[in-house]
Amino acid sequence: MTKNADGKNIEAKNPHWIEWLTGMISAILVVVLIGIIAKDAFTDKDLVPDLSAAVTGMEQRSGGYQIAFDITNKASVTASQVRVLGELKEGDAVVETAETVLDYVPGRSHAKGGMVFRSDISGKTVALRVLAFNEP
Amino acid sequence: MDGSFDRRKFLIGIARGAGGALLFALPMLMTMEMWELGFYMSRSRLLLLLTLNIPLLILLAHKVGFEKTSTWRDAVRDAAIAYALGIVSSALILAGMGVLRYDQSLHEIAGMVALQAVPASIGAMLGRSQLGGQSQDDDRENADQDPVQKSESSYFSELFLMAVGALFLGLNVAPTEEMLLVSVKMTPWHGIFIVLASLAVMHGFVYALSFRGSHDLAEGTPGWHALVRFTLPGYVIAALISAYCLWTFHRIDDLGVTQALMAVVILGFPGAVGAAAARLIL
Repeated sequence: MTKNADGKNIEAKNPHWIEWLTGMISAILVVVLIGIIAKDAFTDKDLVPDLSAAVTGMEQRSGGYQIAFDITNKASVTASQVRVLGELKEGDAVVETAETVLDYVPGRSHAKGGMVFRSDISGKTVALRVLAFNEP
Repeated sequence: MDGSFDRRKFLIGIARGAGGALLFALPMLMTMEMWELGFYMSRSRLLLLLTLNIPLLILLAHKVGFEKTSTWRDAVRDAAIAYALGIVSSALILAGMGVLRYDQSLHEIAGMVALQAVPASIGAMLGRSQLGGQSQDDDRENADQDPVQKSESSYFSELFLMAVGALFLGLNVAPTEEMLLVSVKMTPWHGIFIVLASLAVMHGFVYALSFRGSHDLAEGTPGWHALVRFTLPGYVIAALISAYCLWTFHRIDDLGVTQALMAVVILGFPGAVGAAAARLIL
């Protein structure tokens, strides 16, 4: 309870138990928050991102054959401006290529993107490769 | 209808609401990410935000609304007017800046206006109360009857005000790309520092600095009481509101736990300042 008088607010001396309960729960949450971050502060040793690409879906859409992919970053360091190259292959021959740039792949996170190929993808394979990245 | 409808007073109220909407929402109306979010954000999240805004405005109207609303019916009426002012002023300004064009699809236009209407309507509500919504006559009358204006605000209304303050600053910065950029630039050590700094700033704002409206403890109460009862819950609220804003704007969808927490912590900083300021101002 807070008393407002003359533009001044005075917190009551004998607060309701709910105020203490809320305060305790909040204190625990703040400590947990700091704890989780502190754990990472001590364990994060990565200096460079660790990026891998995987195709998550292929669908025929009006613009062509659409590939959905996912870039995973296993390291704690973030990569930005991640250039991804997609090659549509028939056997060892590259039929078509597509390229895109992802703004960010944050540490221990993943980012999604897509590519569109003109050639029919059935019977062919899609190889994805990360070409380059920056550090934010 | 009590027959004594004061048209001038009503129009001034509307104008103050529109002024408040402008004052509070212009930064967001001029943020590119907010325009883009208007058409790409998930419609279910937008719907949730628009729906949550209704009880928020009603509670806000009840607590700080102009004309000291006495009944819930008045609060609902004021909330509806504020929401409408938010929609109209957002649409006018977006159209006036050439951001909204007639050849855009209804889906885009509705999304952009609806998203901006949320902060604008909160601004309209605050504008009506904070831009001198309570007329001077009211104050003078009260002063005559009771030289020391006394009131009590319940614990939960204090927490609610903190949530509104945090939401306000949160909505301002959560949509920007900088939130993500800052959170990936920070190391966990920076994160811990920001948490502690947020707590210190929040506590200092309300208790240490002698701003108008600042809070004091009743005599004989140890200082840490206020920290546990008000500052820590306030920070948790600010952090939760930050998480909600980031989630609404798809800022933490694909992030791992650590990165998401860092984003919440960094947005929690302005959120904490907003929460503390709300306790002083509202």
